[in-house]
Formats: sequence, C-alpha cells, structure tokens
Amino acid sequence: MSDQQPSTSKQTRATTQRQNGAADNVLADDTAISPAEFSGTDLVVGYPGNDEPVIDGESVTVSPGEVTALIGPNGSGKSTLLKGLADKITPESGTVLLDGDVIDSLGSKELARKLGILSQQNVAPAGISVEDLVERGRYPYCGFFESLTDDDRAAVEEAIELAGVEHLRDREVGSLSGGQKQLVWIAMALAQNTDVVLLDEPTTFLDPHHQLEVMEIVEALRDENNITVVVVLHDIVQAARHADYIVALRDGSVYDCGPPEQIITEQLLAEVFEIEAVVTETERGLQVEPLEPINEPVSRDEEGTG
Amino acid sequence: MGKLLDTVAGVRTAEPKRVDSKLTALAIASVVVLIGATLVQVSFGAFPLTLQEAWSTVFDPTVLFSQEVWNAFLLGGEIPDWFSRRQLIVWNIRLPRILVGILVGANLAVSGAIFQIVTRNELASPYILGVSDGAGLVVLLTLTTFSGYLPFMPILAALGGGAAFLLVYAIAWKNGTSPVRLVLAGVVVGTIFGSVQRALFFFIDNIAVVMSAQTWLSGSLMGTDWAQVRIALPFTVLALGLAFVVTQELDVLLLGEDTADSLGMPVEKVRFAVAGIAIISTAAAIAVAGLIGFVGLIVPHMVRNIIGSDSKRLLIGCLFLGPALLVGADIGARLALSPVQLPVGIITGIVGGPYFLYLMRKKENLGEV
Repeated sequence: MSDQQPSTSKQTRATTQRQNGAADNVLADDTAISPAEFSGTDLVVGYPGNDEPVIDGESVTVSPGEVTALIGPNGSGKSTLLKGLADKITPESGTVLLDGDVIDSLGSKELARKLGILSQQNVAPAGISVEDLVERGRYPYCGFFESLTDDDRAAVEEAIELAGVEHLRDREVGSLSGGQKQLVWIAMALAQNTDVVLLDEPTTFLDPHHQLEVMEIVEALRDENNITVVVVLHDIVQAARHADYIVALRDGSVYDCGPPEQIITEQLLAEVFEIEAVVTETERGLQVEPLEPINEPVSRDEEGTG
Repeated sequence: MGKLLDTVAGVRTAEPKRVDSKLTALAIASVVVLIGATLVQVSFGAFPLTLQEAWSTVFDPTVLFSQEVWNAFLLGGEIPDWFSRRQLIVWNIRLPRILVGILVGANLAVSGAIFQIVTRNELASPYILGVSDGAGLVVLLTLTTFSGYLPFMPILAALGGGAAFLLVYAIAWKNGTSPVRLVLAGVVVGTIFGSVQRALFFFIDNIAVVMSAQTWLSGSLMGTDWAQVRIALPFTVLALGLAFVVTQELDVLLLGEDTADSLGMPVEKVRFAVAGIAIISTAAAIAVAGLIGFVGLIVPHMVRNIIGSDSKRLLIGCLFLGPALLVGADIGARLALSPVQLPVGIITGIVGGPYFLYLMRKKENLGEV
C-alpha cells in the first residue's frame, strides 16, 4: 500500500505537467544517471560558545533518490544535524560523504552545485522580483563578469515551474504571502540544480494548502528528478505520509530510523515526543492521532539535571 | 489561456524596460542638475562671468585640446603662461572644484551603498560606521604633524578607515552581527575617534592650521584644485571599477549570510573584500574633501527607493545621483551666504538630517535592506 502512494502522486504530477505543456526537463537530464549517495558518520556538531555539542557522535545514511525526514521534538537537534550534514556548521569531528567525496574537500561553489540547503527563515531584499530572486540560485555556476547563460535561464525556468510560482514571477517577493514566499525560496534552491536538497522545516508556519504544495514539490523532486531530499519536519503526520525514510532524533541522538511504518509507532511517539497517540494504518497511509501529553516527572528530573 | 500567456509574456518583457527607464530618467535628471550646477558655479563668484562667457571658456578648444594644459592639470606640470585671467579662474579654480565634487559625491554614494549591503543595514554609511572618523583622524594627523606624507593621503586614510571598520566589526560581533549592534558600535568608535581629533587641536600652535583643519572636519570643497583631482582620481577609478566587478557578489550578500553561504559564497572573505573596496572609496573622498556627512547615507537610499535593490543598477544610480547632489549642495555652500563660504558638509547635514528623520517617520521597519 505504501508503495502505491508515490506512484499515484507521480501520475498526477505527470498529468499536470502535460497540461502545462512543460518543456524539456533540465533538472532531470542531469540527474538521470543515478541518485546521489549522502551520508554522515560519527558527526559531532555544536555551536561555538557552547561546551556541549548538540549532536554527539551520530551517523546518518540517507537513502539515495528518496525523501528522508528528520523528526523529533523541539531542541532535539534536527536542524543542527541538517546544518552539520550541509557543512553550514562545520562538524567538530566525523565525515560527511557526498557521492563518495568528503564534503570538506569540495570547494564552496562546487559543493553548492551538488548540495542545496534552504534554511528555516529567509528575508528577501526589498524590491526584488521573484524571477530575480530565483536567478540568484545560479550563483554557484557563475564566474566573475559572467552573466546568465542559456543553461542558467533554462534551470531558472525549470525551478520556477517546478515550484509552481509562474504566476508570481514578476511580483515583488516582499508583497507575497508567507506560503508563496516559501515556494519562491524553494524555487531559488532548486535553481541551484543540485543532486541533494536539504530543507529545514519548509512547512512550519504555512497554511495547509501551502504545506501540501511544498510536500508535493518534494515528492516531484524525488519522482521526476531523482533528487535525494532530506527534510526536517515538525509534523509527524506529514513525515509519515510523505517520507520514504524517517530518522527520529531525541536529545541529540538518533533514536531510530527506517521506513515510516516501522518508525511511527505509538511507542516511539511516547518515548520521543512524549505524547500519547493512536497510530492506525488506513488506505491513505499511516494516520497519527495525538491524544494527550505524557508527563513523567521522573524522566523530566533527569533531563533537568543533565 | 494563450491570451493569458501573451499578457504574462508582455508583462515580463515590459518589466526590465520599465526599471531601466527609471534608471535612465534618474541618470538624465542627475546630469541635467550637474550641468546646471556647473554653469552656475563657473559663472558666479567674486569674478562674475556671464553664462555665455562661462560656457565659451569651458568649451574653449585652445584649452580643451592642448596637451600642455592637460599635462599641467593631470600630471602636475606648469600652468601655461598664455592662460588669460578668465581661463585661469574657470579652468584652474572653478572647474577642478566641480570635478572634485563629482569624484567625492560618486565615492561617498557608492561606498555608502556597499556598506549598506555588506551590513544589510539601511542605516549604514561610512559616517555612521566609524570609517569616516577613523580615516579622518589619520588625515588630520597627516595634515598637522606628518605633512611630508600628503601625497599618500588616500592610502593612509584608507588604513585609518579600515582600522576603524575592523574595530566596529569586532565590537559588534557576538556570534554574528546585527544592524543595530553595528550602528551602535559605529557610533561609539566614531565618537572616540572624533574626540581624539578634537583633542589634536589643542596641540596645534599655528592658528592657520587649526582653521584649515576645522574646515576640513566639516567637509569642504573650498580651495580644491587639480592637485586634489590628481590625488583622488586614481583611487576613485580603482575603487569604483572594483565595485562594479563585484555586483553579483553584492546581490548574493544581500540575501543574508545563510543563503549566501548555501549558494557557495565564502561570506566572511567576500564581506571583508567588498568592505575593503568601500573603504578605499571612502578614503579617496575624505582625503580630498574631509568629512562630508549624509551623502553616503541618503543617496543610496533615494536610488534604492527609485530603482530597487539590484546592485548593478543601484551603483550606477549612485554614480549619477551622488555627484549631482554634492555639486548641487556645493552651490549653496559657495554662493548662498556670499562672500562667506560654508563647508559643503554643513549643507549636506542641514538637508540630509531632515531627510533621515523623514525616513524614520515614514518607514516602519527601517533597518534591514
């Protein structure tokens, strides 16, 4: 049943593409070979000024060409792990491998051509148009003095189309709604044309419509462009529904990982998220129904002193 | 559907044109102001000329096409003795003052624009970030104590400005900087450097040097001639040329540190390199004209309001509006209270201060670019 889900969404996506009369798929051409391998081993990631690292010696392997979701409660280290994987915070120790290359060995622009990351909050400069903002995503491909080539233009078009923001392209980014802005930023990250895309809580603060749009884009990246996607999600239901693989974090360590049916259990929700919930398998995938928070004074005390 | 697409396509092609037409209009308006200001400056003064006389002297082919004359102006040779009194006044006193004004206006505007992008802060300017006061202190020291180093003034000023900027950055840095922290640190560092400048006055015995230093601190084009053009021109060409090389970097920096980083930019290095360009530019202006405030703050602001935040267009706009504004203000400085000449910095302060206040009232979230 879970196998069926992606293929249906693939079909609907393909139909909409045909309706739009989509031109040749630039993103797909490049990545048609094989999806990128991406993994982190024994990562220690922390912030300068803090003695204790947030992530202390964890390993994560991302399944190539699939959507991996990082889930966990607030402060469990999801975003930190993501930033460590992207080398945005250089891990104190451990290695991140991208298609066999150690990530530090890549030049900064070279890395930006292979791995894209969209951070949680982004502020667009005043008065910039959607199209101009998406064009900035081509920076890793441009040298000094070079203006956009035809390839760049094609990638920008492709990204705008994939993110479904064609109708907004001449609008000022500042005048858009929160959901529309998020789609535009995603388009910018897509214009980077990377094999691996990391998204830090792309759906938080969005209305249901835009949340679904974002997740549809994520699935399209996987299905049509063979891109490896790692996404931090706040919403367990969303992770259960859209991810192929889930990494659950608690207090900076990987609690468990595997496919959603195996990971999203009532026991995990109790131990990681401290909630009582009912998980049922339905014909539309896993359904999670949160009931009430679990307050365990004993474990609270342990955390408090630790 | 097809119709809709056509409209969309129409809008898309129309958009860049509209923006560029704004830029063109801004450039033309600036040039008109500049020409008008030039005519006024050349004609009026202690030795009045009619507009026609002024015009014909400016476009006098015997001067314009004389290698000897340009050799004198640009390389510091002897002024030819066949110069008439009128030619001397127009070509050796009034025109170079305008030229220096153009260079200074362009430098201040462009460096202000760059500082605003680097710090992502609309309130940033060489003046507010302490760079001016740092450069100013060095220039004042050179003027009063080490006058042998006068030809190297822009370099020395750049060093002083650079040191001040580093200090401001270091003070404001706490796991990154914020617009407000940078401005506060800039004000603090600027105040300290300014105090040291004023303290220097008490060690100067020569009253004439005090007067010239005072004028210079207020920011003035008084008494500037071809020597100042020769000092400022190379650094201006260098700094402005470099500024246009890095417009792409500026565009990406404007997206914020995180995004610039994820687009593969070594943010800290680029930020310092770009700030270095702005410091050279500021230094070139300060070395010849002293501390002229507000131009670096309000010109980029006005241009951004008109044509948006695209770096290349912004810098081009600054290149036109900066000189127009400064040369225009210098008319007021030179002629408003004639025969008394005011430093142009006083005029820009009087005009710029209220503009800044107006911005504060009008915009709710003044700060981030």
